[in-house]
Amino acid sequence: MIRFFLRRLTFAVLLVVAVSSGALFLTRLAPGDVTANLGAFAPPEEVARTRARFDLDRSPAAQWGGWALRAIRFDFGDSFLYNRPVGGLVHRAAGNTAVLALAALSLATLLGIPLGIISGSHGGVAPLLIRGASLVCLSIPPLLTSLLLVFVASRTGWLPAGGMTSVDAVDSGWSSWILDVARHLPLPAIALALPIAATFERLQSQSMAETIHQPFVVAALARGVPWRRLVIGHAWRASLRSMCAIYGLAIGALLSGSFVVEYVTAWPGLGRLMYEALRARDIYLVAGCAAMGGVFLALGSLVADLLLFAADPRVREGQAA
Amino acid sequence: MKIRFRSIAITAAILLGGFAFWRSIAAPEIADGVATPAATRGGQLVGSIRAVPRSFNRIVAREQTTELLSFLTQGRLVRINRSTFDLEPWLAETWDASPDGRTFTLHLRSGVTWSDGTPFTSADVLFTLQAVFDPKSESVVANQLTVAGKPIAAAAPDDHTVVLTYPAPSGPGLRLLDGLVILPKHKLEGALAAGTFAKSWDSATPPSDLVGTGPFLLREYIPGQRIVLDRNPRYWRKAADGTQLPYLDRIVLQVVPDQDAELLRLQSGDSDLTQSELRPDDYVSARRSEDQGRLTVEELGVGVDADAFWFRLKPEAWKNDPRFAFLSKPEFRRAISYAVDREAFAENVFLGAAVPIWGPVTPGNRIWFSPNVLRYPHDVNKAKEILKSIGLEDRNGNGVVEDLQGHEARFTVITQRGIGWYERGTTELRTRLARAGIALEIAPIDNGALIQRLLSSDYEAMYYRPLSTDLDPAGNMDFWTSNGSSHFWNMPGPKGAGLPNETPAPEWESRIDTLMAEQASTIDPERRKAIFNDVQRIFAENLPALYFVAPRIYYAHNARVLGVMLSVQRPPALWSADTISVR
Repeated sequence: MIRFFLRRLTFAVLLVVAVSSGALFLTRLAPGDVTANLGAFAPPEEVARTRARFDLDRSPAAQWGGWALRAIRFDFGDSFLYNRPVGGLVHRAAGNTAVLALAALSLATLLGIPLGIISGSHGGVAPLLIRGASLVCLSIPPLLTSLLLVFVASRTGWLPAGGMTSVDAVDSGWSSWILDVARHLPLPAIALALPIAATFERLQSQSMAETIHQPFVVAALARGVPWRRLVIGHAWRASLRSMCAIYGLAIGALLSGSFVVEYVTAWPGLGRLMYEALRARDIYLVAGCAAMGGVFLALGSLVADLLLFAADPRVREGQAA
Repeated sequence: MKIRFRSIAITAAILLGGFAFWRSIAAPEIADGVATPAATRGGQLVGSIRAVPRSFNRIVAREQTTELLSFLTQGRLVRINRSTFDLEPWLAETWDASPDGRTFTLHLRSGVTWSDGTPFTSADVLFTLQAVFDPKSESVVANQLTVAGKPIAAAAPDDHTVVLTYPAPSGPGLRLLDGLVILPKHKLEGALAAGTFAKSWDSATPPSDLVGTGPFLLREYIPGQRIVLDRNPRYWRKAADGTQLPYLDRIVLQVVPDQDAELLRLQSGDSDLTQSELRPDDYVSARRSEDQGRLTVEELGVGVDADAFWFRLKPEAWKNDPRFAFLSKPEFRRAISYAVDREAFAENVFLGAAVPIWGPVTPGNRIWFSPNVLRYPHDVNKAKEILKSIGLEDRNGNGVVEDLQGHEARFTVITQRGIGWYERGTTELRTRLARAGIALEIAPIDNGALIQRLLSSDYEAMYYRPLSTDLDPAGNMDFWTSNGSSHFWNMPGPKGAGLPNETPAPEWESRIDTLMAEQASTIDPERRKAIFNDVQRIFAENLPALYFVAPRIYYAHNARVLGVMLSVQRPPALWSADTISVR
């Protein structure tokens, strides 16, 4: 178990280093740089100062070396846009994204898995309707869903059209603040959750359909185990292996999907921060966001592995061997 | 029977729900059409900004949000009224000018205090000027406060008098001071002495450390989310009826980077004001909201900035390209000007909300616009004749004109990706120029890459909107003079990336250089205007950059907002926030 965990941790560290370094190099090599934000006709001395401040007057390798040395000491450089250290900005945005991702993942799980069980174990009209709805949700990108939801929210006033808190929350206490966040959460969470819920449903349905015809399920049915207990207690548990594996990928999808959703719904998370940083070529902020994205991915992957480890005895046995 | 009844009930419920949903979308509440009530104190205004502030110190940062916050929290000695373009007394109540126009004695308003209660005095003005011209301050306003290459000198005979001595006569005179935000000596003198002024009042500064003489105080700043400003109880200004300004208790500025989302929030009532004017594509939607009583849409007039189309006129960059032989001739650019139908351009690119122009100074700049420049009415045949007169004809019948050696008039124009009217504008140009035999290929690119290519003169032609820094031509010397850093059709190469200018400027550019120097140092406004009319005439004859239309500017705000003094410059509404109220 310890060796398994250490191997995963090493992989996570390598992933974070590779992703953040790659982001830094790609941002540096892309045409244009952060000085474009000063305007087309900024005084040359201001441009030179800015380039020096962000190490753009050094070679990409030298810039990366300096950045990596500072990053070891948890100094990820300054953001041009926010004019403050990247660490604090990324930390705050990652917290907001985590709240959104957790809500979206919970919603996707609560919607996708039960519907997958139903569509994979039943016949009739319901599975057809569920499958159709899933296909629709899979086909519509989160950008479109979020735009549609923002439009509906702005026209109906049923939910706040964007943001994480309302302006009236300025003087409110913690409990009001939490309620306020909860009111703002459904819109981006639904936009993010729908395609993932559909993925869960499809996978769960397929896995269920396969498991339901396994000999041990047929034998249980022959022994007179009630259908509901058979589905939940036997078939579903056995079908969980493929679902565990998909959770790591789902967290990755949540992050990539959150770029546009956070931008459109003005949710102050990592996706929006990275989008702004990319647009402004804010090089150290891009690298910081990418590093945190890597941490999320590695965590997702680790959680998936641990779930698999717990759910599948063959994995445990493999580790023991 | 039971099943059928349930089906009917479910169907009815769905239909009712759908109808209710449709009603809620299609028929919003309509506000009462009451007469505008008088302004009252109190209330909160919610605005939006698209970018976070880089600093709270306007002396060291120039971007839009820092500029906006300087209007809300700080004061100037004098200000240019963005609505009338007149110079108005502000922290300086009155002033006297010497006959030679070099010395100004400013009498400061008495009784003004900083928001922490410290009296505002002439020492603060001297300190601010000292900070501006200190090289360690990394000031972004020093250039505009420099006259004939030297800084303005200041002295303070007493606490309420400041004497400014300009190194040379200056046409704009005190208007230069509109860019000078006065900062508190008692808060920042330590930073200046320690050489850390450039980093002082950065965006991580706690709000309690910031003081100002403006109508509002920073209360809270959550990066990427919002800025909250509360009324400054020590603000010095009163309304005509004696009411203490500002009217509003609070302004909340929410960060909404996406302009579509910004408009949706405005239409839904989540926001009262937006950061900038409406885009042409948004007029119809905003007008519909106005009809429903949600928004007030106001036309501010013609904008002061317009899109330009130009070729890189830097001889060094075309060394091995024979096309420069015809491109460098003013006749070639005049042919293009004749080939473009400006009325159709306004219709197709700005959806009708634009007026034809023939130079960089638009009718929106009421003081300096000259209507008497050379005009080029749409005439494709004339364009073809002119091209023929400089040896450009379609000799091989492929629709594109070429010179005697067979070099075609075919160019790539780059523009910024993602801006609707840039993309429509270049498409319209391509269509119109094709009829005259000039081929354009369009390459929309990212703004950062576009600026890099502009600065390094790495392009053939460009379609873009360079923003003027000042309505007064003396404030835009960098654009007009041949060695200026905003002389975009022939950028000087001191920035490391660009090619150095080896070829002297053409004769007509030298004439503009001389005239601009003369008007910048002339005090008599009539004489200045006459000189600048000459400059505009020369520009229109030689067309180093082509201007086709200037957009009409529309601004939308929530119908509950009163007392907004709108401007075609940015920020359009909050430059004068102390008179805004809400009902």
